[in-house]
Formats: sequence, structure tokens, C-alpha cells
Amino acid sequence: MALLAALALASAALGVAVGSVYIPLGDVLAILASRLFGTALPADVGAVYPAMVLDMRLPRVLLAFLTGAALAGSGTVMQSVLQNPLASPFGLGVSSGAGLGAAVVIVTGLGAGAGQMLALPAVSLAFALGTVFFVLWAAGRIDRGLSGVTIVLIGMVASLFFNAVMNMLAILFPASAQRINLWLLGSFSMRQWPSVWVLLPVTALGLLFFQRYARELDAMSFGQEQAQALGVDTRRVKTMLICAVAALTGTAVAFVGVIGFVDLIAPHVVRRFFGASHKRVLPASALFGGAFLVLCDLAARTVMPPREIPIGAITALLGAPFFLYVYFSGGGRRRL
Amino acid sequence: MMLQAENIICGYGGVPVVRGVSFSAAEEERVCILGPNGCGKTTLLRALAGLLPYEGTVRLRGDDARGLSRRELSRRVGLMSQLAPVYFSYTVYETVMMGRYARHERSLLDREDEADRRAVRESLERTGLWPLRDRLVTELSGGQLQRAFLARTFAQDPAVILLDEPTNHLDLKYQAELTDSLRAWSEQGGRCVLGVFHDMNLALGFAQRVLLMQDGTILADSPADRVDRGLLDRLYGMDVAGYMRESLRRWE
Repeated sequence: MALLAALALASAALGVAVGSVYIPLGDVLAILASRLFGTALPADVGAVYPAMVLDMRLPRVLLAFLTGAALAGSGTVMQSVLQNPLASPFGLGVSSGAGLGAAVVIVTGLGAGAGQMLALPAVSLAFALGTVFFVLWAAGRIDRGLSGVTIVLIGMVASLFFNAVMNMLAILFPASAQRINLWLLGSFSMRQWPSVWVLLPVTALGLLFFQRYARELDAMSFGQEQAQALGVDTRRVKTMLICAVAALTGTAVAFVGVIGFVDLIAPHVVRRFFGASHKRVLPASALFGGAFLVLCDLAARTVMPPREIPIGAITALLGAPFFLYVYFSGGGRRRL
Repeated sequence: MMLQAENIICGYGGVPVVRGVSFSAAEEERVCILGPNGCGKTTLLRALAGLLPYEGTVRLRGDDARGLSRRELSRRVGLMSQLAPVYFSYTVYETVMMGRYARHERSLLDREDEADRRAVRESLERTGLWPLRDRLVTELSGGQLQRAFLARTFAQDPAVILLDEPTNHLDLKYQAELTDSLRAWSEQGGRCVLGVFHDMNLALGFAQRVLLMQDGTILADSPADRVDRGLLDRLYGMDVAGYMRESLRRWE
């Protein structure tokens, strides 16, 4: 776990240092120290470096880390709650709901200009939460026990439906289609400190909340009925955890768009090395997901400069082969 | 009485499967429910474990089970189901430790205590799994996995263990081991076992009392060595004793 934390720190340092201009690590540390502790900045640090580090790269790296941690933690929870190794928060309709919300804002030009910086995340979060509540409500009406299969099915139906509505919007308003598409692929560019200050407490609280339910998640990994027989009030715990997942991923997606794959692979990779117990998997998965997304973002902005590759494309591009490698190379001794 | 069921009615989607069942089980008693497929054995067990809403009353040492929280109920009643696949690679030890869940009001910080570790160790030793405690449940054979689940139920330390065909898919040797550890457990005082078995031989060897069930009701309640043969034949639509004798002859 210490190794993983070191890896996360290293990836963050790399993310801040590397970019269109390389800033030596020593300078980065000096800049951080001068901002945090008021130490004097060495004379040989480039004049534009402090602004680049503090206003551009650091918030971007932090945002990528938080998003990765939030998505990976949520993915871990969903896989156990639904007792399905392929489950992900997006299966609940979080992304399609958020996508529809974003499309509505983009098409209607709600809060045009600067206001849209605020309106877009707010509306897409509201749509994401609305979708998940609808899915939970509908699943609860059909199946009082709220079984995993029912939730997955309703979530899929809702996702497909809202995606279709969003696609209709994109077709009806061709002028907005490209913006909608770009939003869907996700990006950390143009994200400043305010986004970090929103996502930081939400992610921290969400992950702590998950950690509190580590034992329940362990029991639920063996199936709903076994968990109940062990004493877990599955209906209540499941509803609470799913709502927390919705809030966490909804917020993340609202700020940076839909970024897939981290939520799915992080728990799998981590379980191979740390076992299945949620006491370890939850924090490890968050650290891994955060580091992974920081590196993906680094690739996104450095591989084809000055163009940026959408982060959503990178996660799958890098993630899929990495996942196969870890899964089939026998790294770690755990199977799942 | 350890366990008392009074006029239990329950089912699925408004259709009653169990239709007015009453019986009781005393301390150190092993009771077995026999009956053809679909007679409501498993449904009754699920209601007793609190997994299914029911009409009627279940009493545990006199207390109405409805008044107990999920956690309290699990401290008194353990359920061991049929063998089910496992997807996540917990170790045997971790799996058995989950049996201790209901024993604590958990929060973010507290961890398992000495009593938990002792209970888990005892349960593992009782089921012969102590040497395998670090193995992953995904790597166990069916018989070992089912023993791990039995150990988890022991670690739960309930007064009543409900068994739902726990020996399905198990080799003969594992069947015998499983019922042996259950017998030893039930003889410790303050405990009883109520089981559904498919294998009649196993059931009659394991239980002291047999309930014969048909169409959601109990037809007969008798000591295991005095089961009404005629009734058994009618229930299964065949000459049960004759069939058993025939199978035995093949071994002589």
C-alpha cells in the first residue's frame, strides 16, 4: 500500500513536471514550498514557471487524481454491491444522465458565456442523480429485494433511452454536436482550482463513506441472501451506497465529462495484488485509479502536441492492453 | 423451546407456497424436513431466516423474531445455503471472519477483537480448514468451499442453524464430514439444527426428528426411526424402503 501511495505521488510529480515545457522537479518542489511555507524562490527558477505550476498543471493533476480516485472507488463498490465483476457506476445511467444534462445546457445555451462554467456541471449532476434515483425507484417497484440483476437491467434500459435522447438533440442541433461529443469524451483542460475545491471534499467524503461499509461490501460480494443471513440490512445498505456512488461519479463526470474504464479496471488490478477484502481494496483502488488517470492525462496532452487527445479515449487505449497484461501475465496471485 | 413456528404462511408474488406450518425444535435437537420437490421446504427455511416476509409467528427462545433487527436475528439464526459460485478471491480466513459481522456494531475504525479471532479459529478447526486458512475461496473444491461456509456459520455463533440442502454437489466423504461436524456442534447445549436434505439416507442418519412436508403443509412429525413408511411411499409416489433395499443389495 505504501508502494502504491509512492506510485501515486510519483505520477503526480511527473504530471506537474512534464508538459509542453519541462519544468525540473526541483523547481516544482521549490515553487510548491514557496507557496505553502513562504520560503524564498531560488533565482534560477524560470519566471513563468510558478504560474504554470500553480495555476495550470497542479490543479489539472489534482483534478485528474481526484476523478480517478472517485471513479475507481465507485467502481469497486458497484462490483460488490451488484455482485458482478463487470458492473460499473455508468451501468446505473450516471453517464447517460449527465450526458443528457450537458447536452441540454449546450443546446439551449443556458447561462451562456461564463455562467455556463457553472450551469454545465450543475445541470449534468442533477440529471445524473435524477437518472440513478429513477433507476433505484423503478427497480424497487419491480423487485422489493432490489436484486443486482434488476438494477443492472433497469440501469441499462435507462442508459440506452437517455443516450438516444441525447443523440437526437445532437442531430437536431448540429451546431452543438461537436461540443457535446467532446464533452462526452472528457477532458481536464481549462479546469481550474474551483473544480478542485468542489471535487476534493466530495471525493474524500465519498471514499470515507465507502470505507465505513467495507465489511458490508465484503459480505455482499457473496450475494444478497448470504449477506442478509450474516446480518447485513442489504436493502438499506445497497440504496445508501448506490446513492453515494451516484453523487460521487455524478460530480466527477459533471466536471470532466465521461471517462470510462478506470472504474472497471482499477478494482480488478488492485484485487490481484491486495486480495478481495474491501478494507484494502477500497483505498488501494482509489490510489491506483488516481495515479492511472494522472498518467493518462499526461499522455493525453503530450503525445500529439499541441493537440489534446480526449482523456476518455486514452483511458481505454492505455487501459485495455494494460488490463490484459495484468490479467493474463500472472502478476499477483489473485484471480479476481 | 429453541425454535417455534406457529401457522407460518408465505410464498412469492402473493401465491402461498407454505400454507400454515407449525412445529418446534428443542435444545440439542436435529430436525429434518423431508418432502418432494416444490413442497415448500426451502421457502419455509427462508422465512425462518427472515429472508422472506411471512404470516404467523416465529419464536426464538420465546422472543418474536419479527421484533428483532436483522443483526439481532443473525446472532440467533444462521443459514447455510446450497453451494453457490464465488466471484471474489477472499481467503478462507477472511470468509469465515465475515460470520462475525452481526456480533459488532461496526464503525469506520473498529477492528476484529480477540473473541472474533478465537471464534474463527475454533470454527476453522472444527471443519478441518485451519491448515487451508490462507487459501483463496476461488481456488477451493466444492467440498472445501462448503466447509468454509459451514465454518462461517459456526463463527456466527447462532443458537439455531438452518441448512438448505448443504450437501448437494458434495462427494460422499464430504457429506459425512459435514454432517459429523454439524452433529458435534449441535450437541454443545443451547443449540439446534433444522435442515432440508435431499438425500433421505443422510437425513435419517443425521436427524433425530423428521417432518414430512407436502404442498406447503406438514403431514407428519415423528422420530427419525419411526417415520410412517406408508406415508413416505405416498409422498414420493414409490416404494421408498424397497428402493433403498434394492440399492443396498448392489453392495453385498
